[in-house]
Amino acid sequence: MSPFHFDGLVWHWPIAIYLFLAGVSAGAITFAILLKHFKLGKNAHKSGFIQAACLIAPLSVFAGLGILVLDLTKPFDFWKILVFYNATSVMSVGVAVLMIYQVALFAWLACVFKEPVLNWCNGRWPLVTRLLNALAKHEPSITGFLTILALSLGAYTGFLLSALTTYPMLNNPVLPLLFLISGLSSGAAGTLLGGVLLKGNPDGKEVHFIHNIEIPIILVELVLLFTFFIGLIISGGQSKIAALTAIGEGFWGWVFWGGIIIVGLSLPLAFNLFMKASSKRKFSYVAITASCSLLGVFLLRNFILYTGQMTVA
Amino acid sequence: MKNSRRLFLKSACAVVVGASGYTIAKSSTETAVIDGKKYALVHDETKCIGCDACSVACREVNLVPEGVSRLKIEREGPYGEYPDQYFRFTRKSCQQCEDTPCVKVCPTGAAYKDPETGIVSVDAWKCVGCQYCIAACPYQVRFINPVTHAADKCDFCKETRLKEGRQPACVSACPTKALTFGDLKDPESNIVKVLKSAPNYRSKTELGTRPKVFRIASREGEVTL
Repeated sequence: MSPFHFDGLVWHWPIAIYLFLAGVSAGAITFAILLKHFKLGKNAHKSGFIQAACLIAPLSVFAGLGILVLDLTKPFDFWKILVFYNATSVMSVGVAVLMIYQVALFAWLACVFKEPVLNWCNGRWPLVTRLLNALAKHEPSITGFLTILALSLGAYTGFLLSALTTYPMLNNPVLPLLFLISGLSSGAAGTLLGGVLLKGNPDGKEVHFIHNIEIPIILVELVLLFTFFIGLIISGGQSKIAALTAIGEGFWGWVFWGGIIIVGLSLPLAFNLFMKASSKRKFSYVAITASCSLLGVFLLRNFILYTGQMTVA
Repeated sequence: MKNSRRLFLKSACAVVVGASGYTIAKSSTETAVIDGKKYALVHDETKCIGCDACSVACREVNLVPEGVSRLKIEREGPYGEYPDQYFRFTRKSCQQCEDTPCVKVCPTGAAYKDPETGIVSVDAWKCVGCQYCIAACPYQVRFINPVTHAADKCDFCKETRLKEGRQPACVSACPTKALTFGDLKDPESNIVKVLKSAPNYRSKTELGTRPKVFRIASREGEVTL
């Protein structure tokens, strides 16, 4: 069986990239919210890490949606998804979440960057000033909404696949949790990588804060992956065949064990523990750890999407 | 400040859980209350000779482009020793599920079950080609029509032969009368008589799809465990 072409394959790599980008966006903005709320407060907009997260979140969600639209067989009819809704369709609910998410995202960005924007405007457009002040008044509500929407978006990428009864490996209750958690970890990695590239201090309090959360997240991800595959194997039948085809010998087996378990999870975990113990953080450490995490999550999306479609119920 | 945020988060969570729970509960208790027909099909595999007259007729009547097909007859075998040899033929086409995975996942409602006939169809105009239904169908019978770029599949000739008051193309084309089409709600119909007279099975019922394509099993090819 060729790893990228086989019978029963419906969704190809563009969908995996879309799922990855939606997760990165949700994760990055979640960490931006946490950083602002717990560490940075009013000065959040000065931090390179907040700036990175606030660039990554909208750009990746736009890129993801762009890929999704181009992947339709009728790209110019995409507006029909926005006009017609079906409450039982995970995709339809997800599109609604994505739309509201983007509104909340920009409202929150406006609150965070209110001060620099107002300084730049220099009182030229009173409308902008009034709008930003009005938004800033509701910042707690906007933050709450955005947190819920970001977590929903992260979980949605998993529910989208777990709704498919055709494929026993995808039709799995652990998948949304796995995608949510790995999406958060990719968002953290994106924030760190972007932050140090935007001249953020690699030994700053932001990095300490994110690394402290990253360690438990990686451990939870490992537990979820274990539960995911043990659950499939215990279920027996086609579920067991699906699990063993995925993580057994072959191209995708290498991707799973080498790319996801070792490079994507074990190495970042080891680096994080080392950086915590030695309490020395350099640009290269932070950047390499974050790149490994990002690569791991990207491979996980492709791995789940392709191997999931290999075995039919 | 802190308390109001907490209260807000709690109530927002409650609203989300309530709304999604309501949708799920509503969708599961919804039953078919329509007084329409329930069209179904029986494929008698003991009578089928695998001549492909059905799939050729289907292509002609429904203008199905080359390279894709709404109906295929799959052949297994030959089994047994000469001269007592035989094949097994199974029909691969839309199973016209009662509990339709494709309709449930379609984001625009382009995949729908016609309340008058119980036939699962595609509104090619509404379809955007996300291919979610193709992935969701456990029978893997949906495809993208290269002409309309919309999802397509067997609809029991709803738009062609049924409109003319005739039987589906495959049924009238079959030389051995292996196919029986009719309304399950009519106790006097041929299909109900056939289903009551012979033991039959349906494909992948364990997935809860409740298909309306019934099969009368031919001789087993080989004993499999």
